[in-house]
Amino acid sequence: MDPTQATREVFWNIQYTWLVYVLMVPTLAVFGWGFWLKIRRWRAGQPAVRFDRPGERLRLFLRNAIGQGRTIKRRYAGVFHSLVYTGFIVLFLATTVVAIHHDTPLHIMKGHFYLIFQSLIVDIFGLFVLVGVALAAIRRWISKPKLLVYTDEASWILVTIFVMALTGFMIEGWRIAVTDDPWAHWSPIGNLFALGSDPWMTDTAMQRGHVIIWWFHLVVAFGWIAWVPFSKMSHIFTAPLNIFTANLDGYGGSLKTIDFETAERFGINHLGDFTWKDLLDFDACTECGRCTDVCPANTVGKSLSPRDIILDLQALMHKQGDQFLAGSNGSNGDGNGATLPVIDEKTAMAPEALFSCTTCAACMEACPVHIEQMPKIVDARRFLVMEEADFPEGMMDMMNSLESRQHPFAGTQFNRVDWTEGLDIDVMADMDDPAEAEVLMWVGCGGALVERNRNTVRATAKLLKKAGVKFAILGREESCSGDPARRVGNEFLFEMLAKGNVETLSRYGVRKVVTSCPHCFNSFKNEYPHFGGSYEVYHHTQFLDQLLAEGRLDRARSATVNGGRTITFHDPCYLGRHNGEYDAPRNLLAHLGGTRQVEMQRSGNQSFCCGGGGGMAFVDEPPDQRVNQERAQEAVDTGADVVAVGCPFCATMLDDGVNARRGDRDVRVKDVAELLWDEVGTP
Amino acid sequence: MRVLVCLKQILDPDVPARDFEIDPAAKAAKRGGANLVTNIFCENAIETALQFREAAADAKITALCYGESTAEDCLRKAMAMTVDEACLVQRDGNTNPDAAAVGRVLAAAIQRLEQDGGPFDAVLVGRESGDWGTGQTGGALAEELGRPVLGFVESLAPGNGSVTLRRQTDVGIEVAEAEPPFVVTITNNEDNVPRIPKTRDVMMSYRKPLQKLSLADLGLDSDEIRSGSSNFEVEEIFVPTDEVECELAEGDTLDERVDQLARKIHEVVASIG
Repeated sequence: MDPTQATREVFWNIQYTWLVYVLMVPTLAVFGWGFWLKIRRWRAGQPAVRFDRPGERLRLFLRNAIGQGRTIKRRYAGVFHSLVYTGFIVLFLATTVVAIHHDTPLHIMKGHFYLIFQSLIVDIFGLFVLVGVALAAIRRWISKPKLLVYTDEASWILVTIFVMALTGFMIEGWRIAVTDDPWAHWSPIGNLFALGSDPWMTDTAMQRGHVIIWWFHLVVAFGWIAWVPFSKMSHIFTAPLNIFTANLDGYGGSLKTIDFETAERFGINHLGDFTWKDLLDFDACTECGRCTDVCPANTVGKSLSPRDIILDLQALMHKQGDQFLAGSNGSNGDGNGATLPVIDEKTAMAPEALFSCTTCAACMEACPVHIEQMPKIVDARRFLVMEEADFPEGMMDMMNSLESRQHPFAGTQFNRVDWTEGLDIDVMADMDDPAEAEVLMWVGCGGALVERNRNTVRATAKLLKKAGVKFAILGREESCSGDPARRVGNEFLFEMLAKGNVETLSRYGVRKVVTSCPHCFNSFKNEYPHFGGSYEVYHHTQFLDQLLAEGRLDRARSATVNGGRTITFHDPCYLGRHNGEYDAPRNLLAHLGGTRQVEMQRSGNQSFCCGGGGGMAFVDEPPDQRVNQERAQEAVDTGADVVAVGCPFCATMLDDGVNARRGDRDVRVKDVAELLWDEVGTP
Repeated sequence: MRVLVCLKQILDPDVPARDFEIDPAAKAAKRGGANLVTNIFCENAIETALQFREAAADAKITALCYGESTAEDCLRKAMAMTVDEACLVQRDGNTNPDAAAVGRVLAAAIQRLEQDGGPFDAVLVGRESGDWGTGQTGGALAEELGRPVLGFVESLAPGNGSVTLRRQTDVGIEVAEAEPPFVVTITNNEDNVPRIPKTRDVMMSYRKPLQKLSLADLGLDSDEIRSGSSNFEVEEIFVPTDEVECELAEGDTLDERVDQLARKIHEVVASIG
């Protein structure tokens, strides 16, 4: 036998092959119609710029769509999804090869290519699909993890894919058996079927079975293709598109600004208020549940579920259908109650759930297809806060204080400058030439006005002084960056505070800002540019790390203040996930003499929120649903003596949490700057 | 029904103690780093009026403030909370706390507003202010207007030609029927916590007109107002110092310490007599 002549007959044993092409027409028509409906709905959304920076988008697409970068982060699901995903691609290519071979003059399905790819590789990947689906079925029907959504649709998807792959092998096997295919051993799985059927089936039976199963396989496959746009299998197309059009600016820059002069409505309570990308998000969801699985609020038993938010909005979008289109652009359509509110007590978009989000962005980091859950939550909060004035009491007190005192800590016994006592720190307003200050140290309300954090800002200032950095503070002219207002949904208040701060900083010609509050850091870095304030912004750990690297701070390996201690670092969401800085604080900790660093189970970009973001630091949580205690337990479980932090909110939240969970052990919560000063400042 | 609510702008009572300073010569608190806010009981009064308006068809609310130009903020906030009209009587640098003088100014302003827009059925005043806390302005104002006054009212409800008032007393709640016009002082309860304005209303509040009157417009002699009435004078003003003596009950065992504590309490009670 000459392997260069190896091939097989297309449509062996099949009559009326024209019927295949006839059936293909309605299949593709329904398929196209389904996606056309989707695209039409997306297009009814508000504008968003998501096709810019094609190079970056392509890289992201290759990494996380083609490369499955995020999907494979969960081992079990990653494995079975990769099996099915690669199997689908190879089987699709194989079908394409058949079509080219049969329907064009290019008879490519022969020789070594036929044997190696079309027979061996295709068989192996077909097996991948079977195994992958079986693994998925075990998870869905036997181990039943909480993160999944248990729908008939999801089960039918597994059944149909399994049936398609299995029948594929059956018809291959019977063809091999009946035709005594000389290349049978190149198709090991099909051949297994052939060998298995041979002893107990006659050739006639196999031939008849082949015809029946062949048509059955075709009908299932075509039906399945037509069904794709109407099921979550549409993610085959929506997910890659969603990844390509993802937010490239990081989570820290993911909130939209509002033009208060022209906005018809503040925030979102109608589907038509969403951008087309938001609407695409709803259709891209694969129901994997990872967002809800990592959600801090959900973890401690609150009703917030980012997965269900997306799915409920998806259901609403599908239900609204054309009425939604009629009522797009935020209007109420034809007056037949066309657009239903998206905020609804009875769905995942209930106000109580919306107001338990810490805006930590763990959901967005976990999402394999880059759905942006958190900004939608903030959009809905904006509606509740600005249009309805309906939000939790703690947030109300915080906002009242922000309005009348420009800081969120009502009842504080400190002012913005008394932490400087004895430190001789320049205040911009009192300087003859404020331009002499190369750096503005932005203290932040959490640093200046909360007792336990004053040591952090004192330590930071002392370190800056020791390194010879010429810096100054704004003192009483500083006001809140606006972050808590923005996350809670009061964009108006945020904008007022941001504009005020930008104006103050412009007055002093500030170019470089160092702050020990990651929330202020994020606002300055990602949000103030919208209001004309562009600065070189550093988190204090970044700046101190730089000073250390430049040799401006003495390395203190010999110091023993922290010697023998085990330290674990808690990544602040607004430094880590939102702004991608994980190394600077760890570098600083590595300089502490005689200490050992351990990582919590969830760290880096998988870190778990302290519970204080999104205005939640101002809300009294139910005692059995406290995010800070969940996180504190994790920190305590590392066996560390010191929980190092880099955020005033994390510091207070974890202080409370650790005190509740440390038992008899002596576990301290300390800012990285405090720890560093303990050593550098020790003679 | 026309309802008028009087507002007062005061130094933020939440100012950190170390930022609170007295000007002994002026016998008044220094502004210092403190913010200015609407007196809380006045905000309770606004909220009470708003709830009354929600219950009574076509009621209108006017906010009136006697204060410096900064007090415009209080009136804007009241408008953001959706009161219908606002009027500021400008004070010229005088921080006189004399309730009788303030009552005269408010009464003159109210009469002036009534000339233009008809009588006010109800005038609401905060129970007392968070700065001086004399609690006299409501009564003084009623006297000037010649209208009846009821103190410590927590809610108003429309009745048939009258208004039902709930007032707090030492022993419980008293419910009264009042024939307009009248003056009430408003105290706080869990239902009249001032609402947070909607953002659109905040924006609109800056577009609404705000009437400004001077003492001269009201035919009042500012010198006379400034000198106050003869029955009120601030003699001295100072920040009280809290002296806390702390003694720890000693003893080796819990029982001993409890015993010590009980003895101490007994001694203290006996010394008080």
